[in-house]
Order: sequence, then structure tokens, then C-alpha cells
Amino acid sequence: MSGKFCVSLTAAKNDTDKATVAFVVANAALGSGQETLVFLSTEAVRLAVKGYSDDIHEEGFAPIKQLMDNYIAAGGQLFVCSPCFKKRGLDETQLIDGALIVGGAKLVEFLSQGAASLSF
Amino acid sequence: MPLSSPPSLGGEATPAGASAEKNAFDSDWDAGDLACGELVLELRLRMRKLNTGQVLRLTALDPGAPADIPAWCRMTSHHLLYSDPAAHLYFIQRP
Repeated sequence: MSGKFCVSLTAAKNDTDKATVAFVVANAALGSGQETLVFLSTEAVRLAVKGYSDDIHEEGFAPIKQLMDNYIAAGGQLFVCSPCFKKRGLDETQLIDGALIVGGAKLVEFLSQGAASLSF
Repeated sequence: MPLSSPPSLGGEATPAGASAEKNAFDSDWDAGDLACGELVLELRLRMRKLNTGQVLRLTALDPGAPADIPAWCRMTSHHLLYSDPAAHLYFIQRP
């Protein structure tokens, strides 16, 4: 077992249920001692912009900002798909703390080390 | 242009303080805004054209490049001799 866990997320405000559960699972992985990566691509890259997630609170779960803050504070890695971010005209200077804009190679490196992966 | 002197080997970028001018290179590629899979696929093809020990100077503007290029070098056993993400410059040596 590699001890690496990747959560791939493609939704933001277009599916707040899915986006929230992705971070719940990521926190579970982190809390279980896994080196954890959340990869945000397509619409999900919006979650990496400061302020965007402030008003997302899916019923039955903690607010997503709290989940994300806890995830980053606990050492979770947050990769943001570079072309997805660019095509939406988002501002790199407004990235939340802990987020890293990457291309495919950085993700492939993590996965190729034997990471388990789950997609939302 | 041939290498005037072999650069030092290493898996990681040269520590801060080194200058790009000190690094000789054999091939020069301005990748512009090319990103993600397209960037590394073209990079792979260009590195294949070099001989062992030769160096490519890459200019890559994509904001993902500072994370991607070192990762690509680690995965493919290329040597990242020097990088300056602020200047978008990467010197990569074929193993």
C-alpha cells in the first residue's frame, strides 16, 4: 500500500453536494494517515479562488470552506488544473492558501506512485 | 551550440543565486503558453532528439509549469539543472 490517496473533483456550485462530499472523504483519508491530494479540475477549480466557497453549505454537512480550511491546515495537498483555471479567466493572485496550480505531470507523478483514487 | 563546459548534475534545480547565463545549452525551445499534457508531450519529443548529457533551455509561461517541469524531470529521470519560475526558464539535461 502506497499510503497515497487522491480525490478528483470536477464540481463546484453546480453540484455542491458532490463538492462537499469530496472534501469530507479527503479529510477522512487525511485523518486515516494517508498522504492526500485533492485534484480540482473543470468547474471545481473555482473552489480554489478566495471567497468563492464562502456561501456553500450543503445540508447535513459542515460548510465547505470549513472542510477545505481543515484539510489544508492538516497538511492536505490541493492541486488546481492549470488549463481549467486559465480557460475560466480566473485570477491566480486570488488563489486560496495551500492551493497549487499544476499541469498533468504533477498529478501523474502522484498517481504513478501507487495512489488510490476516487472521483467526484 | 555545443556545451562549453559540462554543467553539474543533479535531480533538483540549482540553488538560488545561480544565473541562467552560467548554464550552457544545446537546444532552445520557447513553449509559450503551452500547458499540461501538450507541454510535456512536446518536451519529451524534443528531449529525445538530444544526446545524453545535452541540455535544453525551455521557456514555459504556463502557471502550472513550475510544479510540472520538476515533476516531469523526476518521473523521466531527466536532470533539472536550473530553474527560475519567475523568469519562466528551465534548463533540462537528457540522462
